[in-house]
Amino acid sequence: MLAIERLSKQFGGVKAVQHVDLDVRQNEILGLIGPNGSGKSTIVNLVTGVFPPTEGRVRFKDGDITGWPPHRVLAAGVGRTFQSIRLFGGLTVWQNLWVAQNAQSEGGRGVLRRWLAVDRASMTKIEATLEFCRLLDKKDELASNLAFGDQRRLELARTLAAEPDLLLLDEPAAGMNAAEIEDLRERLLALKRRGKTIVLIEHHMELVMTVAERVAVLNFGQKIAEGRPAAVQDDERVREAYLGQRR
Amino acid sequence: MSDYVVSLLVRIGVEAFVALSAYLLLVIGRISFGQQAFFVIGGYAAGISTALYGAPLPIGIIVGALAAGLAAALFAGAMARAGGIYFAAGSLARGELARVALLSFHHQVPVGADLTGPAGADGFRGIRALFTSGMSVTAYMVAIWGLLALTFLAIALLLRSRWGEAIRMVGEDETAAAAVGVRVGRVAGLTMVGAGALAGMGGGLFAHYATYLEPGHADVMLGVHSLAYAFIGGLGTPLGPIIGVAFDIGLLESFRFLAGYRMIIFGGLVMALLVLRPRGLLDEVTVHRVTRRLAGRRA
Repeated sequence: MLAIERLSKQFGGVKAVQHVDLDVRQNEILGLIGPNGSGKSTIVNLVTGVFPPTEGRVRFKDGDITGWPPHRVLAAGVGRTFQSIRLFGGLTVWQNLWVAQNAQSEGGRGVLRRWLAVDRASMTKIEATLEFCRLLDKKDELASNLAFGDQRRLELARTLAAEPDLLLLDEPAAGMNAAEIEDLRERLLALKRRGKTIVLIEHHMELVMTVAERVAVLNFGQKIAEGRPAAVQDDERVREAYLGQRR
Repeated sequence: MSDYVVSLLVRIGVEAFVALSAYLLLVIGRISFGQQAFFVIGGYAAGISTALYGAPLPIGIIVGALAAGLAAALFAGAMARAGGIYFAAGSLARGELARVALLSFHHQVPVGADLTGPAGADGFRGIRALFTSGMSVTAYMVAIWGLLALTFLAIALLLRSRWGEAIRMVGEDETAAAAVGVRVGRVAGLTMVGAGALAGMGGGLFAHYATYLEPGHADVMLGVHSLAYAFIGGLGTPLGPIIGVAFDIGLLESFRFLAGYRMIIFGGLVMALLVLRPRGLLDEVTVHRVTRRLAGRRA
């Protein structure tokens, strides 16, 4: 579904990502792990057009989306969340979803109406998404007034509102407690049942190892391992990356 | 109504356009010290079209707004992606550029027995379309406020639409806005053009009231004040900047008996307000609370 080929990004002298190849298959949950600074978020930013790659290609559904601006990448069907929560605090919960909603269908009939007012169809969809993320009762709260766990869920809801086929989730469990992580696990599996494809960047190993079919490991901007979770866990290079070299 | 009150209301009405202009830029997260550039561009363009080429007053006002919008488009083309301090510095430079350019702008044509038109540092005299049209100053003041009310309504409706939502998203976090599908450059650019046209409209209205414009009307203090208006009145609603102008000018005028001390008192009040209400009297939280209460009463 998503094919990353020899993707590289250099910031000045820093090689944040070096010749990474990665294939994401339709309807799978792929775990993308690695120590801090290994280039995971950079890959998300490269795929979603926050900045262009220095080298390499990004293909999505047989089309080349390398260097596309963010709104086109989203319209093509790739949504993302942010590692540090980036909500629109001055907007209410449902308003945070409003613009993302319809992001795939610019133009056509009824554009003006959709842009100027809240139509019933949009609102029904927004409410369904909020319900799925357990935020419906907080619909009219300002995003900045939400508790931390709710803010994380709103990030996910906002991305889902654009109805992407592929979700790039950048540490969705960061800062969550055990119950919230359990809830997130359920959401992820439910999304998979709905046909979504997910790339899950996460430090919470237990979550990754239990939901991901495959795991890719980055270290210093390079892919050092890829495979089933159990196999990757036993990989010598992965252990070195996380624990240091055995003496 | 006394002439003094009318003149005060004209001043508040006219400056409210510039305040709304600065406010729109604040909504997209940009601080501009240079909206006075569009104010004078609009004023000169409106004055030239009526005084030199005989356009009727309403057409002149529209020409002024369009000219300022065009100037804003040129600036936006260069600065739409710049943010923070870079945008602020660029806008300051733009304001000064307009002022200095007008110092050497001569375009005089014979109208009747006299030469009329911009004459560099000597200014632009004889913008008399209002007085030759026979409209009273009081009626003109009412027309300004009518136009202001329409503008306010248009902006309030816009900000409640999905478009407005996109505009506010750009102001809060451009990266996140792009990630939910907002075309940041386009939204920011169009907002800047609209804001420029608004300031230009204010300029055209002012030019025909004063009958005289000079490069000094592009003084940086107008840009600074229009920012302050938005911050005093509040960033949660376009009513904020309008209240800000009325508060600012009304207060300054009512302190006249304090003579030289009035600026000290006034400055102190503004500072106190910024400490107590950093996003103005009508900030987003207050507006949200009020609209919720009103919505609740209706339900």
